[in-house]
Amino acid sequence: MKTASVLIVDDEKNVRLTLVQALETLGLDCDTAINGEEALVKLAQRPFGLILLDLKMPGMDGIEVLRRLRHARPDIRVLIITAHGTIDSAVEAMKLGAVDFIQKPFAPKEIRALVTKVLDRDTLQAARAEGYHSHVELAKKAIAERQFEAAQEHIRQAIAADSTKPEAFNLLGVLCEINDDKLEAHKNYRAALALDPTYRPADQNLRRATGVTLREDIDLGDAPEPPEGRE
Amino acid sequence: MKGSELFVVIVGCGRLGCHVASQLSRAGHGVVVIDCDEDAFNQLAPEFSGFRVEGDATELAILRQAKTDRADLVIATTSDDNVNLMVAQVARTVFLVPRVLARVFEPRREGIYRRLGIETVCPTSLAAGLFLKTILGDAVGDVA
Amino acid sequence: MKILIVGGGKALYFLCRTFLAKGHEVTVINRDPGECVRIARALRVTVVRGDGTDPAILEQAGAYAAETVVALTPNDQDNLAICQVCRVQYDVPRAVALALDPDNAAVFQKLGVEAFSITPVIATLIEQRTQLDDITNLIPAGEGKVNITELVLPPAAPVIDKPLREVSLPPDSLIAVVLREGAALVPRGNTFLRAGDRIVLISLPANHGETIKAITGDTL
Repeated sequence: MKTASVLIVDDEKNVRLTLVQALETLGLDCDTAINGEEALVKLAQRPFGLILLDLKMPGMDGIEVLRRLRHARPDIRVLIITAHGTIDSAVEAMKLGAVDFIQKPFAPKEIRALVTKVLDRDTLQAARAEGYHSHVELAKKAIAERQFEAAQEHIRQAIAADSTKPEAFNLLGVLCEINDDKLEAHKNYRAALALDPTYRPADQNLRRATGVTLREDIDLGDAPEPPEGRE
Repeated sequence: MKGSELFVVIVGCGRLGCHVASQLSRAGHGVVVIDCDEDAFNQLAPEFSGFRVEGDATELAILRQAKTDRADLVIATTSDDNVNLMVAQVARTVFLVPRVLARVFEPRREGIYRRLGIETVCPTSLAAGLFLKTILGDAVGDVA
Repeated sequence: MKILIVGGGKALYFLCRTFLAKGHEVTVINRDPGECVRIARALRVTVVRGDGTDPAILEQAGAYAAETVVALTPNDQDNLAICQVCRVQYDVPRAVALALDPDNAAVFQKLGVEAFSITPVIATLIEQRTQLDDITNLIPAGEGKVNITELVLPPAAPVIDKPLREVSLPPDSLIAVVLREGAALVPRGNTFLRAGDRIVLISLPANHGETIKAITGDTL
């Protein structure tokens, strides 16, 4: 794994502490910032390879930091830290170039595994190069084979490659339902529909999941074709 | 310390819960504390590096939010024996947490917890034992 | 049957009354002294005042002899505790708990306690009535091979204001009954459907969505 210097940006002291504790055992050089402004100052001073960025901070929030980063340091990898149930912001962050996100709370092992994976991807381009559709297909295959961790990974890569399409969010909703997290499942189906109101698999899934029964099957979506029009 | 730290979920941030949470956090373990009253978190040590989840731990969704499925250990220390009993069982049966500890105040309930396979700590019995030992000397032995 | 119930309020009152009417023997455990007096005065039941999760109180209430215990308190953790103590300590053959958090119903079953939850029932009832412009999936009939649906015709429905014989519906679907102003009529070729009519529709699952769309004009 490439050693990199990591900047941890979070207004909460306990999160900064947890992350520093967890990542220093990986031999990573960690620095912290308590808000967006301080983060930008430090980013200008040192060539960090990775940022762990909290989205919700007082003053300049994570999204704003991301926007400014895009121009100044487009090569830096950004991992988003979100609070429970804030998928909309995570989606926006992915659109602005974040490579992945993790929800609080998280176990030290969880964040270490994610950071290791992010740093192991050779280039940012390679991480996105595999293409949205192939990841969607791989995710579906993984779900069918009950390999849910693999499915989650493919879905994340799909979203990172193209966060404007509904298929990946629909699949994310399916995974949430499989994990019995109905609230998150509904949010994901709605996110898919927000991206494309005509995307029927998400619509079917949402209706089925919220108890209005017209059909019974979980809908993984159709084979990858240009979005079919409804008449 | 890589890999040897635990991920601990503590339910109930009263005097005992906060104390245990702060100590575990200081020792480098990952800690999540759940309490339905957000003011309770003020009792945590200032250097507490863990997470706080505000909510009722008898709701499955709250335990899920706290990532209980990844916990190595769950400690139930609310002031309500029944909540502790339920949380302990849910942690073990639904989230398959390897080790679960519950505080029980009422000694009459200890036997039942044990029959249900829950490891318990009963402050009442422990304190009674210590008191009696002090008063009556070692002749009295341990109070069961 | 000797039944032990822990709880209070109207739910408890009416449940006791139902059991008594069926000839069962009922004992109630309740924490509040005032309520205990009221229950004792209103019903021919034995009342024990105390915490129903406390083994001592359960014993006092005759848990040893009870055939069924029903836990109806407002707290899931208490209902679970009551049932488990009764099963583990007093070998009560049947223990049933109210689970207010619907997620907990499945959890209780896993822990060996029969559970029921009312939240999903109410939610489904409301949703089925108010979503999709009053389309209610009535009964899965014929082993799920047939859908019988009741729906209200919206103002813009394509099937209204023309004779039914001129309405084209997908194959294997049928408007069986029209409910209008309190009367039921079986439609014929010369029946004109109107906005606001409540119709009972029979369709096959495969073409159900298409049929609904043809009738209501809604893209779902």
